[in-house]
Amino acid sequence: MSGPPRYFVDAWDPAYGASFEASAGGPAAPSSAQVEADAELPAVDWRAIDPRPQLRAPDVVLLVDGVRRIDASVWTAEDDGASFPGIAASYAAGVVRCDLERGVAELAGARVERGLFTASPSAAEVVCGQVRYPVHRVGGAGELSKLPAAVQGPLTALEVAVSDAARTDGDLLVVDGPLRSRRQLPRTLGYIKTQHSQYLDARLTAVVTGLRSGQRSPVFKLGTAWGGWSWYLRLPVAAGAPWAGIVRMECSAELTAAEAIELADLSLVTLPRFASTPYKDPRAPQNLIPIAGLERRLRGLLGDARLLHRALTAAARAGGMRR
Amino acid sequence: MTDDLSDSPGEPVGRVLGTADATPLQFWTAVSPDSYLQLDDVVVTRRELPDREPVTIAGVVTQVRARHEGAQFDSDVFAIADGTLPAQVQEAAEITTTRVDPEFYVPPAPGATVHRAEGDARARALHFDRMERRIPMGMGRDGVPVYLNADFLDGTRGAHVSISGISGVATKTSFATFLLYSVFRSGVLGGDAVNAKALIFNVKGEDLLFLDHPNTRLDDATRAGYAKLGLSAGAFPDVRVYAPPRVGDSSGTPDVSSRLTGVDSFYWTLAEFCADRLLPYVFADADDERQQYTMVVHSVAAHLARYAQPADGGVSIDGVRLGSYADLVDHVVEQLNDDETRGDWAGSAVGLGTVNAFARRLIGSKKDLGRLIRGDLATRRPHSINTAESAQVTVVDLHNLPDRAQRFVVGVTLKSEFERKEKAGTAKPLLFVVLDELNKYAPREGSSPIKEVLLDIAERGRSLGVILVGAQQTASEVERRIVTNSAVRVVGRLDPAEASRPEYGFLPPAQRQRALLAKPGTMFVNQPDIPVPLCLEFPFPAWATRVSEAGRAPSQTLRSITQSADPFAVVGSGSTDDDIPF
Repeated sequence: MSGPPRYFVDAWDPAYGASFEASAGGPAAPSSAQVEADAELPAVDWRAIDPRPQLRAPDVVLLVDGVRRIDASVWTAEDDGASFPGIAASYAAGVVRCDLERGVAELAGARVERGLFTASPSAAEVVCGQVRYPVHRVGGAGELSKLPAAVQGPLTALEVAVSDAARTDGDLLVVDGPLRSRRQLPRTLGYIKTQHSQYLDARLTAVVTGLRSGQRSPVFKLGTAWGGWSWYLRLPVAAGAPWAGIVRMECSAELTAAEAIELADLSLVTLPRFASTPYKDPRAPQNLIPIAGLERRLRGLLGDARLLHRALTAAARAGGMRR
Repeated sequence: MTDDLSDSPGEPVGRVLGTADATPLQFWTAVSPDSYLQLDDVVVTRRELPDREPVTIAGVVTQVRARHEGAQFDSDVFAIADGTLPAQVQEAAEITTTRVDPEFYVPPAPGATVHRAEGDARARALHFDRMERRIPMGMGRDGVPVYLNADFLDGTRGAHVSISGISGVATKTSFATFLLYSVFRSGVLGGDAVNAKALIFNVKGEDLLFLDHPNTRLDDATRAGYAKLGLSAGAFPDVRVYAPPRVGDSSGTPDVSSRLTGVDSFYWTLAEFCADRLLPYVFADADDERQQYTMVVHSVAAHLARYAQPADGGVSIDGVRLGSYADLVDHVVEQLNDDETRGDWAGSAVGLGTVNAFARRLIGSKKDLGRLIRGDLATRRPHSINTAESAQVTVVDLHNLPDRAQRFVVGVTLKSEFERKEKAGTAKPLLFVVLDELNKYAPREGSSPIKEVLLDIAERGRSLGVILVGAQQTASEVERRIVTNSAVRVVGRLDPAEASRPEYGFLPPAQRQRALLAKPGTMFVNQPDIPVPLCLEFPFPAWATRVSEAGRAPSQTLRSITQSADPFAVVGSGSTDDDIPF
């Protein structure tokens, strides 16, 4: 009865990679991820958990996301003849306030910033027309390949700033991506779409891949530097690959196990309704509808890339950029 | 900012869009979230120019749309309504330019503030400021009066009105009568208004027979509407109603059922019929003209004019006294059938078949015209329709008459009125002629004596002071020269197939669509001054349009014309010389 091996087409557009990417030599090794699996259920008893009956989703859910775009790559010409690479990047962060009670999703706040990211000690602010690119000096050698990662810091700071401004009592804040430095925010969940690491051992992973739509795994604690309480849940998805529709959620390690479990239950009744549909979104269902809408709006706010590239080129020619 | 116009045109409602082309003649405006624009709203914006004074661009809204910005798929609307997808509702309005001042055709700058035009700015946008004499036509969609340039109605720069629309819903005659009321009562004609006359043919029902009766259903709101237009709500003060005599009634009493007082009967005596050569108007059907017997018609008419002698009401021809139209027809047919006299009557080169065709038609007209052409009533009795001697508004009731008789009355009346104006030679006083079913009297195909008269009016009436207010269901079926000579074109609800015809090319596409669902009382008026037709609602008539609405009859209508005539006047006396000297 050895039929052909079962296979599934991943719902994500290939351009985004797969929804599960275990890196070959990565931290998937069990040694580096100290997992405390016994927080909610004893590891030996692990099983899928259904939504708690009578639990309602909060009226207001805030979703935060940021987008960034590299408008131009630049090279500086230093006085000593050396040259540093740099990138002129635009990045924006915004909050969608989904008022499920009233049925209104609105942009609760959005900010756009731009910057010139370079290690050049002499770089100065770029001004082209009404657009300014202040300098963000990058430490180290400042190789071109490292520069895009440098945008992440200011972007995260911007996300924190806009989400702070939009908070109200009793809401739930969902942050796109790991919490990292945002763990101090109350009632906040980190939402990780792409699974790079395999934290659980084979037996517990089988529980995760065995989740049905709308179920979650028990809460476990990660012992890594950015660790915290975490759990997996499967968004509504047509039966598919083992990891299809699975997202990992995070909350602050400073919470008690009971608080973490409460948030986990809350996430299970809240998130599935935000799941997107495959034909509309190449990263469905993990890329949530509000996030997708927010990203579109934010990209619109970044301004036209060709226009900015043209402005930067013109500014460089006019000597606006430091030689 | 260069946005605030010096003379405060009105509240800002949005900004010129940059995502669609802005052109000098048409542009789109994004509407601010806290305001709105509806179709026909008047807006104004301004464009600064480096080396000259700023250009003010004014226009009317010809289309409005609302979209969800941020939605990609149609089904996104559910996610948006569910509160999961952020989106913004954005309204935009298409503006069709009505005026560029000074005339420097530059597009408005995207981002420029657009203001709702109010007061003087609105009047300027719609060219009302250039109109020296303005006739109120009704309220715009914004509840403010819209005007017609009197210059384009009274013949100064143009004349004639063409009204099109579906029967029953388009309220064509109501608008025509309201326009007359407005012309007479708004004071724009000045002193000429006193002598200006109107001749209205009542084609359907007895709708127009109560113009002088106040409307009992008139309420305060309607009165206020009239007051806003600068008019007082009331009935036409000076109306005379004519109706044809009853069939088979030897005393010639008017054939009306609902209006019992103040109606005079009209008819023509046999002597007039012969002397004025009215016979061609018996054959006024368009397909009559295509027949060979036209020559016979004119020949017989000439013969009658030459040989018929008035004889005690009737006429005598060749020594035979004829006392009725039927007698006259029989006599003519008898003469035509006689080989000896046929040549005298029909001319020598006419075949027998043609003569017989003519005779058949003539006999056929006996029943229709017998009551209109009389030899049995006193010649002294007033019976003719003459607007010069009639009241300000003369209503001629045709609705009881068969088709052939209607054509005869319209043709003869228009001809005599036009000839009278021709003789007078001056445009003043004006004569307004209201004629419904113009497509019947002046069809696009063929020719007929009536069509000739109407074409004459359309082409020369402007200088002679005869203003045609024509109404028809389908302008596409009316003689093109009459439609093109109309300076003012009005459209009510249109038939969908009709609306797509080139005759309505003056309507922009959005208005053409709206004309399909225009409700009664809504008209689109195109006048030469304003490049966009104006949508308006004219008020409910202040006069009765049917017997159930009629209030108390005015006192002067209680006397009929026969009573008002002086029974002791000397017959045939043209001058006052023979008057009894006291």
